[in-house]
Amino acid sequence: MTKRSSKRFRKTLLWTMAVGMGLHFSCAYASLSPKQILRKADEARGNEEGVEWRIDIRSVERGRKQQRTLRVSARSFNSLAEFLAPPNVRGQKLLMLDRNMWFAKPGLSKPVPISPRQKLLGGAANGDIASTNYAGDYNIVKTSEGMVNGEKCYLFDLKASDNRATYDRILYWISMKRLVGLKAEFYTVSGKMFKTAVFEYKNSITIAGKPREFISRMVITSALIKNDVTTMNYGRVVIRKIPDSVFNLNLLTR
Amino acid sequence: MQTTLSKKLNVLIIFVLLAGMVWRPAPALSAEGDSPGSSEIRKPAEAFRFDLRVLSYGIIQQSSDSSQNPGNNFLQIPRYTGNLEFRPDLALKTDSLDLMAKPRLRLEYREWEEGSREGRGDWESDLYVNEWLARWKANENLFVSYGRENLQWGPSFLFSPSNPFFPDNGRRNPYEEVPGMDFGRVIWIPDSAWTVSFIANTDEGRNDINLPGPFERAYALKMDYQGREGYGSVILTHRENSENSLGFYGGVTLSDAVLVYAEGAMIRHDYALYPRRDGSPFGASMERIHADDSTVQPAILLGSSYTFAEGGTFTGEYAYYGPGYSGAEADRYYVLRRKAAEALAYGGPISGLGRLTLWQTVNTGLRHLRRNYALLQYNRNNIEDCIDLTFRWTQNLDDWSGQLTALGSYILGNHIQLFAVGTVNGGRGDTEFGGLLDYQCMMGLQYTF
Repeated sequence: MTKRSSKRFRKTLLWTMAVGMGLHFSCAYASLSPKQILRKADEARGNEEGVEWRIDIRSVERGRKQQRTLRVSARSFNSLAEFLAPPNVRGQKLLMLDRNMWFAKPGLSKPVPISPRQKLLGGAANGDIASTNYAGDYNIVKTSEGMVNGEKCYLFDLKASDNRATYDRILYWISMKRLVGLKAEFYTVSGKMFKTAVFEYKNSITIAGKPREFISRMVITSALIKNDVTTMNYGRVVIRKIPDSVFNLNLLTR
Repeated sequence: MQTTLSKKLNVLIIFVLLAGMVWRPAPALSAEGDSPGSSEIRKPAEAFRFDLRVLSYGIIQQSSDSSQNPGNNFLQIPRYTGNLEFRPDLALKTDSLDLMAKPRLRLEYREWEEGSREGRGDWESDLYVNEWLARWKANENLFVSYGRENLQWGPSFLFSPSNPFFPDNGRRNPYEEVPGMDFGRVIWIPDSAWTVSFIANTDEGRNDINLPGPFERAYALKMDYQGREGYGSVILTHRENSENSLGFYGGVTLSDAVLVYAEGAMIRHDYALYPRRDGSPFGASMERIHADDSTVQPAILLGSSYTFAEGGTFTGEYAYYGPGYSGAEADRYYVLRRKAAEALAYGGPISGLGRLTLWQTVNTGLRHLRRNYALLQYNRNNIEDCIDLTFRWTQNLDDWSGQLTALGSYILGNHIQLFAVGTVNGGRGDTEFGGLLDYQCMMGLQYTF
């Protein structure tokens, strides 16, 4: 082999490797089914084994500002939210066992069963804390492409798989590059959009030894009153195995 | 008094000492800014919790002029009450042991406008521990505890027939605490869907309700199921010197807005008092007519709630309470009560018998006097992120007396909450809701430190 042909061979080899690697990466995501993509996006907002985080909720509703700090322990379909601040609501607890929800507070004799639709604060419903299971709660009826802040996205049209889901329909933008949900529009049964949410992922968790982006902020804006904004900031994220006892109604001390 | 106070203080001191002895810095999890997977030592502040709520409230109420309380001479219900309550909650959580105590200090001023105490006023103070608990975690699936608890369960508002221990489920007025009873509990959690509890009610604790008979120890086996579709529980109870009873509750979240639930029990009311005709001066007396038979009566409650898009929730419940009085028994009961009330004014032994009978008619041992009840409730929380409102109508479907309750609270800043609970009873004096109070209004302020 001449020096020239050897150089051409190396060049061809490098090109082949580069194209091959590129193809491999794009195929890695391209080979995922829409349901798998949705599941990947869910992983950035919850965890099957267990996750703990703090949510700082700030809401502006008709000009009135409110703030709550919650500690959330979540695993699979269950979560426990404990209100830490302000003092007026400290000690209140919201236990979500799948779609069954219970609210307890100091002074109340027993936990009250509540529905996912009930309001938590501002534009956030109770179901928003635990709504990490879009893949389980919604069917993908249509997929297309879209852009959010210059980032190419899969645009999923999600329809509630049964009437236990918090929302009837969600339009959900998932980043093609990062496989995280960037934006969502929530619709009522009558087809009216009533709020939108944008998500940020500045937290990081480690799953199977690999770092993974994790939700850091969710900003909910009312579709009716644009100035009504609820911001949920997620911090102190820890992945850990959470035992069944955390979600047990018999141990929910008041 | 001195000894009792000293005992109560000892309990507090023991709790604090125990808390100090068992506290160990427990390894916890990474905090904000830490790299995931790293660990930190749980701060003492996170292991020990101290919350203090101070409630100051006043009550204005009007006693009914009924045969149960003629001229307010029998129950002597004060017209005005002023209260100051200190409610600290202490808790210590370690890896294997949880300790909790709720000592209470209550100062109360009462003033009467009717009855034998008319124009008088008095002060009362009380220091007590309403609840306390020591819970040991044997492992992640097994918990053993003993303490004084307000042990409540079930989804219903009207009453909780499945709970064999507490006649009051605390829903009527959330600012009044239900007195705790003493329980030992073993809780086993085999998996996320099932829980099995063994519960021993060893003492009446502070819940010294005026039952016609003495307190009897009770033991319950409770099995809970939690699924995606709903939840359910079965409670088998054995009371010493009594028959067994079976209770249950369950519910389903039909949609994000609709909940349906049921609660019930098959119960014996061998200790409850019923009016029976006899040769006594009033022609009848209150007796435990089911003391020697094994009649089992059902108590069933069905309920549902719907949450509107704007956030308000409407709840409806119907309850059938089998042990309650039939129409004939109710007629006999009210005739007996009227005769006992008249006898109060006569003086002498007949007055004493009247007093005893009225004590029995107000403490029958039944959770409700009659058999059929309905509840309608509208509740909306976080209105403008600061107002909670509840309107509740309870209807006795047998004597058509009713009770309207309105609960409201307003959050004023991060520490102060204003609250009000108003109750208006409708019905003649010889009806269940018309028999004790015409109305009651409670207004106050809660400061949380």
